[in-house]
Amino acid sequence: MNDREVKILDGNTFVVSDSRGDIEASPTDAAGLFSFDTRFLSRWILSLNGERLGALSVDDLQYFETRFFLVPGTGTVYIDAKLSVIRRRTVGGGFHEELTILNHDDERIELTVRLDAASDFADLFEVKDALKKKGTYSNRPERRRLVLGYERETFRRETVISASERATFDENGLTFTIRIQPHGSWSTELHVVAGMGGLESAGATGTRRRLTMEQSLKRWLDAAPRLRCDWEPLESIYRRSLVDLAALRFTPEVAGGKSLPAAGLPWFMTMFGRDSILTSLQALPFAPELAAGTLSALGEWQGSSLDDFRDEDPGRILHEMRYGEMTAFEERPHSPYYGCVDATLLYVVLLDEYERWTGDRKLVRELEYEARAALAWIDDYADLQGNGYVSYKRRNEKTGLENQCWKDSWDSISFRDGTLPGFPRATCELQGYAYDAKVRGARLARLVWKDAVLAERLEQEAADLKRRFNRDFWIEDGGYFALALDPEGRQVDTLASNNGHLLWSGIVDKSKAKTVAGHLLGPRLFSGWGVRTLAEGEGRYNPIGYHVGTVWPFDNSFIAWGLRRYGFKEEAARVAAGILDAAEFFEGRLPEAFGGYERSLTKYPVQYPTACSPQAWSTGAPLLLLRTMLGLEPHDDDLIIDAALPSTMGRLELLDIPGRWGRIDAFGRGRIEIPG
Amino acid sequence: MARTDPIADFMDGVASRGHEPSLAKATGTVRFEVVDGRRTERWVLTVTRGELAVSRGNAHADVTLRAPRALFEQIFRGKANATAAFLRGALQIEGDVQLIVLVQRLLPGPRASRRKGRAAGWAASRR
Repeated sequence: MNDREVKILDGNTFVVSDSRGDIEASPTDAAGLFSFDTRFLSRWILSLNGERLGALSVDDLQYFETRFFLVPGTGTVYIDAKLSVIRRRTVGGGFHEELTILNHDDERIELTVRLDAASDFADLFEVKDALKKKGTYSNRPERRRLVLGYERETFRRETVISASERATFDENGLTFTIRIQPHGSWSTELHVVAGMGGLESAGATGTRRRLTMEQSLKRWLDAAPRLRCDWEPLESIYRRSLVDLAALRFTPEVAGGKSLPAAGLPWFMTMFGRDSILTSLQALPFAPELAAGTLSALGEWQGSSLDDFRDEDPGRILHEMRYGEMTAFEERPHSPYYGCVDATLLYVVLLDEYERWTGDRKLVRELEYEARAALAWIDDYADLQGNGYVSYKRRNEKTGLENQCWKDSWDSISFRDGTLPGFPRATCELQGYAYDAKVRGARLARLVWKDAVLAERLEQEAADLKRRFNRDFWIEDGGYFALALDPEGRQVDTLASNNGHLLWSGIVDKSKAKTVAGHLLGPRLFSGWGVRTLAEGEGRYNPIGYHVGTVWPFDNSFIAWGLRRYGFKEEAARVAAGILDAAEFFEGRLPEAFGGYERSLTKYPVQYPTACSPQAWSTGAPLLLLRTMLGLEPHDDDLIIDAALPSTMGRLELLDIPGRWGRIDAFGRGRIEIPG
Repeated sequence: MARTDPIADFMDGVASRGHEPSLAKATGTVRFEVVDGRRTERWVLTVTRGELAVSRGNAHADVTLRAPRALFEQIFRGKANATAAFLRGALQIEGDVQLIVLVQRLLPGPRASRRKGRAAGWAASRR
């Protein structure tokens, strides 16, 4: 059991160790203490009298705290240990480890307690790609501490290790020589501080104390609506989602102390435009403050100039921010990188949806400049072909992203025969988001910014876009919308889950919605667990292909929302039931994606292997499905409730839903029979 | 012939903008410490809800930026990226980071390779 990966974190500082608490990283291995995208410890090994320890058990106390129970010896055979060791580790600004050794014997013992320490200061990107370092290392043992350093020009990072008890420090770690009385104990506190080489003075690296973290988690859970359901798994799925979402909160200094959801734990603990926005949308009925944090932070980093390397334009919302060495030396464009199309469109969607729930017009006024710039970007910079459609083509050909929509893997956008279209590509859901952004932007312009001229123009543009879209993207003989238009304006004719996002956006003509819904729940797209990213029978369909056949819980939560928007209550309930059934198999924590195999074939959902768990928008999926099933929709100062639940749910109560109405309870009873 | 001074040029440009709508939310002072060998040149930018004013000297600031002259020159010409320079430790920032994230909007971008869309004068050719 020593191999089990244990992860704890606080913001973007996290530790990945084995179940003994030891860290033994190789250049490509992901163990270590990481902070701001840099590894600060690649080696941290505890031994007693030269002997490694074995794990008895691990307590995951909180997401930021773990306790390891250890005994001498690493064998599998039971050892009659005369002593035991407890390591209690808390993350924050590095980590803090309380090391306690208990002597169970009648005799006094003498021990050499050793911690081997080293750091390779790898950038996260280097860990992924196994690249060589360009700077120089230093190990400086001092009387009361060990300083591990790395330097490349002005770039400095250091790890400072110290202890509360007397220790001898050398270049490779520290040693305690101790005696423990019969049935006595000894303990020390170890501090490992991640030094950012001066970046701290800018206040860029806040640390939080354990007490505040505990309090903050409690406050978070207390503030969320309470859920009761006859179908018990839903209660644990709900709680898991709330706790995971708490762990995924990230408080960059630029957000003025507000938190926003990072994309995934631990590798994507950073600002991501798309992921932070979509997760905030999913969580709106439960934790509306996440949306405020997301809108503020992303607004402040909104693009302001043209920069090919970063794929930046004025008004564009960022894709991803990173702080490591490769970003610092511009070997990667993430300072921040803007190569993403949907985030800017969804930014306006989130701002409007946030106002509809919370009535917080102050924020909408504060972000007027950013929202207007985002709306202007749609026509000024995103219409690459001047044909009235949003499309993408990267300007950074070397390290930029090819596909700048949510399906961002290389083969995600293809024709039925599997061939890939050229660039620019205008994927269909981007047109839906652009339509929705304009409609919602018009509402905000009229209501809050008092600009009727802008409102009218946006409404006109939206209506025009909808008319053209329903003509140019509609595949008449298939009865669905093309995945994209290629540079020549040809329809990329595959059937994909993106059709569900179109329903969500409202761009679909009413007359077409029924056949679209039919496809989404039809045998080619619906697996029984959920809607596949790509329909069975398409050239590139593969049930375990990342964006070409797997089922994504987040995708499905928005599809369900879209189905409800067009009145397909039963279909939305079927999607919700499938995804929540899957969640039960994953012990309440939905993965990023799972296999697109037919439900009747596998009986259980097959997980797609991904590095990050939990993933923010998968964590948010059950929340949005709850909203969809209960039919929660703000209407002025009221919350409309129109439940349509699968019969298996029985009775469902969601109490104290926060919003402009104060707090409201929602109830529903399952009446929809789910076939299969 | 007088030597061109990109730093003075940038500051003059900022001062002549008067009101900057993208900074309408921002209020505060930023001090630029331009290190030139043993000499340090100090500029102070005052933002009052988007109103910009520039002065020389050592006034109190909410945030201070410090870097060698060559780096500031590159940043003000759009040839170096301020965020990357900060992460590299070449540009030191002390104080209110939130303010400086907004003030970044005053910096020129690099020369972009090509531009399409309405901004580049595309005639709307919608069918």
